[in-house]
Amino acid sequence: MSSGSILTLRAVSHFFGSRLIFKGVSCELEPGSIMLVAGPNGAGKTTLLKIMAGLTPPRAGTVERKVPDRAMAFMGHQTFVYPALSALGNLEFWNSVYGRGLDDAALFGLLDRVGLKGFALESAGTFSRGMAQRLSLARVLLVEPELLFLDEPSTGLDTASQALLHGELEAARRRGAGIVWISHDLERDLGRADMVLGLGGRGMSYFGPAQGFFPEGA
Amino acid sequence: MISSSLAIARKDLRLAFAGGQGPVQAVLLGLLLVFIFSLSAAPGERFSAQQAMAIFWLCSSFGVVLIFSLLFRFEEENDTATALLLSPLPVQSLWLGKTLAGLMLLLLCQVFFFPAALVFLGLDPGSNPAGLVLMVLAVDVGLCVLGGLIGAMGHGQGAKDALLTIIVFPLQIPILLGGIRIGVGLMQGTPLGGLADWFGLVMAFDAVFAGAALFLFPHVFRGE
Repeated sequence: MSSGSILTLRAVSHFFGSRLIFKGVSCELEPGSIMLVAGPNGAGKTTLLKIMAGLTPPRAGTVERKVPDRAMAFMGHQTFVYPALSALGNLEFWNSVYGRGLDDAALFGLLDRVGLKGFALESAGTFSRGMAQRLSLARVLLVEPELLFLDEPSTGLDTASQALLHGELEAARRRGAGIVWISHDLERDLGRADMVLGLGGRGMSYFGPAQGFFPEGA
Repeated sequence: MISSSLAIARKDLRLAFAGGQGPVQAVLLGLLLVFIFSLSAAPGERFSAQQAMAIFWLCSSFGVVLIFSLLFRFEEENDTATALLLSPLPVQSLWLGKTLAGLMLLLLCQVFFFPAALVFLGLDPGSNPAGLVLMVLAVDVGLCVLGGLIGAMGHGQGAKDALLTIIVFPLQIPILLGGIRIGVGLMQGTPLGGLADWFGLVMAFDAVFAGAALFLFPHVFRGE
């Protein structure tokens, strides 16, 4: 294992009750790289992501993260948005939770970056799925994560929102962030990845460079 | 931990009052209870101090269940509970923040319950308003400390309200008893020193359940 990795999994296994989800998953993530997690439905991709993020303890194996909690962010199908708060109110809350100390001008700047400046004071409950996901992206940008977990974040996004998301991910990678990314569109996203972790057959089917990974059916 | 707890409490209070609702459901239920109980007395008949105090605390007890059900429902929509668990804030600060927000909402409910009890139940406030405030605060803290813990246990479960009701009410008995006995004592002019045993029971309840909540909350409020 490389000493420069910010996330290392060693022989991680997980069960739901007595049902084995996967076993023997080992991988590592370098700073400034993207690891795509691929596999069929039910292979345990989301569960593995939660284990990596520390949300779910693995039943066996170890997870080592060399990044403090305040430098980690998670973006998934769920937008993590409080619908009764305004877009600005949501960011103000996460700003205080992460102790970032950003002023209103900086928060407006983040909303501007994701194209929501004109909706800053509107209730997030009135937002479309795409707008709510843009707000979720603003929350991630607020954290400036060194380790970022993505669970199919582009689901339901239009082309412009997807382009925005991919642009920000590239910027995060250039800044040195490590990104673990579950994507449902391997054809589109494989080219952006440095490494691929394949799950299947209740275990790890592949871990290596993205160029060497050939998805089933491709 | 204090600053994160205050951030959680501020956010919960903003959410509770968004749309102008606040703890309306808890207030209405409490007022309805006071009114219905008032009908059980014959014309001209007065409720005893014990009966009036018991009804006041019963309203508060039901209010706690509704308030904490509301506060934990905020974290279910869009799975914000997961985002909070992944954030750097200590999990216990989530409990403390919810408890503080619940305490504010309960006090607000009691601002309506108390005058209603004065008017409809003939509750006599006595001559020791400071003692009454001390009693309300001490008992409310215990009710909310427990509510914050049990609310987390029901988080994400379909039968959350049933679970809250089944577990909370039996556990509340000692502190409700303390609240009733202290309240009756104050109404009858007993000095605070004469109620030290009951105050001791209430404070012990607050301390035991606060300690239990700090220890247990990370185990009951989980992302799966």
